Amino acid sequence: MNPCYYACYIVYKVIVYDIIFYPPVYQFLIIPGLITAIIIAIFIIWFERKAAAYVQMRYGPWEIAPKIGGATQLLADLTRYAMQEIITPQTVDTLQYLLAPIVMVVLALLPLEAVPLTSVKPYFPIPSGYSLLVAVAFTTLSPLFITMMGWASNNKFSITGSVRESFMITSYELISVLGLLTAAAMTRSYDLVKIVNLQMSGKWLGLINPIALFVVFIAVLMSTSGFPFEIPESESELVAGPFTEYSGLLYGLNMGGAYIRRWVFSILITLVFLGGWAPYRPTPGVITGYLIPSLIVSLKAVVIMGIMSFLRSVYGRYRLDQALGIAWEILIPLALLAFGIGLAEAYFGII
Amino acid sequence: MEAGTASSGSGIHLPGMEIAKASKNRYEVMIGPAHPGSGHMRIFVEVDGDIMVKVDPDIGFVHRTMEKLAEGREWIQNIPLFERIAILDACNITLPYVRAVEKLLGIEAPERARYLRTLLCEINRVASHLYGMGIFGVFLGHSTLYMWAFGDREVFIDLAERLTGARLTHTYPVFGGVRRDIPDDFPEDARKATRYMRKRLNEYAKIFLNNPNIRSRLENVGVLTKNQAAELGLVGPNIRASGIRYDVRLNEPYEAYGDVDFEIPVFEEGDSLARAWARVEEVRQSLNIIDQVVTWLEKHPRENFMHEKFWKTAPKLYKDVYEGKISYSPKYRIKLMPIFASLKVPPGKSFARVEAGRGEIVYYVESNGDIFPYRVRVVSPSFRNVIAFKYVMPGHRLMDLPAIYGSFDYFPPAFDR
Repeated sequence: MNPCYYACYIVYKVIVYDIIFYPPVYQFLIIPGLITAIIIAIFIIWFERKAAAYVQMRYGPWEIAPKIGGATQLLADLTRYAMQEIITPQTVDTLQYLLAPIVMVVLALLPLEAVPLTSVKPYFPIPSGYSLLVAVAFTTLSPLFITMMGWASNNKFSITGSVRESFMITSYELISVLGLLTAAAMTRSYDLVKIVNLQMSGKWLGLINPIALFVVFIAVLMSTSGFPFEIPESESELVAGPFTEYSGLLYGLNMGGAYIRRWVFSILITLVFLGGWAPYRPTPGVITGYLIPSLIVSLKAVVIMGIMSFLRSVYGRYRLDQALGIAWEILIPLALLAFGIGLAEAYFGII
Repeated sequence: MEAGTASSGSGIHLPGMEIAKASKNRYEVMIGPAHPGSGHMRIFVEVDGDIMVKVDPDIGFVHRTMEKLAEGREWIQNIPLFERIAILDACNITLPYVRAVEKLLGIEAPERARYLRTLLCEINRVASHLYGMGIFGVFLGHSTLYMWAFGDREVFIDLAERLTGARLTHTYPVFGGVRRDIPDDFPEDARKATRYMRKRLNEYAKIFLNNPNIRSRLENVGVLTKNQAAELGLVGPNIRASGIRYDVRLNEPYEAYGDVDFEIPVFEEGDSLARAWARVEEVRQSLNIIDQVVTWLEKHPRENFMHEKFWKTAPKLYKDVYEGKISYSPKYRIKLMPIFASLKVPPGKSFARVEAGRGEIVYYVESNGDIFPYRVRVVSPSFRNVIAFKYVMPGHRLMDLPAIYGSFDYFPPAFDR
């Protein structure tokens, strides 16, 4: 055999199997991690604008690429964000101010390290029997840094916005944790692989226990400032809330950060409630065992994100105390109810 | 500098210039003057936690000295000037000035002109209310209402353009009449527009006013009682939403309002939702008036739309086109009668008011027989409404500020003049 060819083959194998499809790298950076998250954010923001434009009887993004409906608009916007000067006002706490958005985005992606995207053993990023618990715990990290941004910005609008954000965090986290852990009560397992495997027969947990799915859906909207809970950065009161002082790439990170968090939550919802890679049964091999199931999961998550984005054209925003009232007085009892239903279903063997 | 001495305590208080004593738990937020939700004004808001305890609207950022400017311009030149008070309500805003000067001149517009003025006034009122509703929508984060209202406003701006030749600054009512008559196919267009708008108003109610999300934001927020509204001297749809039946069109009918059939929607609740509904119902009444006026215009012959005194001096081309001897073509420029250029108004004082989109607007005009006015005083509706912020907002949460602010349909250029 030609030694050169052999060397190339080795390099190819190393790149494909040991780097690209090495689970921590693959899931954190490629699918459904950073690269896919950015592509999805670009697509979803475009979709959000296009869908709103359709409802509002206008064109939406169009001018930049008329043949594909202005789909590359967000690329142009991102380029602009990347090229803009990052202004650091004199009155801010520089280190926290610069660090907070970056840490926020990185931590937002962290839950993807915990979730398995296939049932084939070698492709688990962190082999663990408690992957659901770990992933849910990781999702609670990044919002803290939004609060930090507001504090570091040293601006009244920013601080007001970040105080609102902290109110929202305290209310939605309990709901989302309760809602997602309902799955654990139903399946008697914290292992996402087991949870998904139980749904293979078509009995998706979201269909069996729709209240839990609904509760988590609303909690995700709250956590990522989706309408009607776009409260921390409500433009007509707080300019841009915690992000008021940011400019350039850091502002772009902030804006993208919400979508990345929404994306991560959508992946979790897909795995827990919508059957993950359900109709498909992964078989050993990189393509059939890892790429295809991860694509299926991503596709389902995109649908969830699309539904969340569409709400923008229907609702205005709630007042902060109304949103908190909804969370504490309606959603938490509902989450507990869903938990009870889940337990009952597990007890009577419906799962 | 005088401002320096003022801040050191000579008794003059410039808002924002004095040093206030800091109090515990109080937080001062300044909304504006360069703020996405403020318009060209500033609101000092003192919050205690999330509750507003003191709200002080500070106006004057777009003051253009219109009253003084008017003293250096000829009578007719002031009409385009006063349009700039509230550019999207141009006919209503300039009409009382025209009427006040007509009183001094001792003339009255012919009947057809009165109907034509009424027509444009109502078209403007619809456009103005739609503008207000759009801004209200964007304040509450409801971008769909914003886009719908601004898109549908275009229909009425187009109508105004077909009628007057200009989208916003029409300068349509002039002393003794109006500038021109309606085009032949105008009634059809107007009816199409009113039909369309009636249908759309129901859709507005579906997506905005009856949307549970928006209702919970507006119900029992910013309640203005009947007594309070009367004491503060507010005007327009805002007091009619508080149960006061006051409308200049009703109390002191001018132009053709005595002859057309319409109702004044009155609501008892006095909250932000009632103020929003009052506007929607008013738009509906305006559409009825437009239909009636257009039918009247169609039935009656195209007799004079300008007072005889001025019509006599019209150029020959103007008369020929009007009488149908020459068919109209865009190449002919419509000119005003030359007599307007050196019009001298007899000495005297006069006063006129009309109901503009945002409420009653009052002009006081004084002449000393010169080609310029001696004094023009304007009291615009937004100027009278803005004081309500100070008394209605305290006690509400900071997030209620846009809900109340938008519901009053403020328009900063109108209160700064």
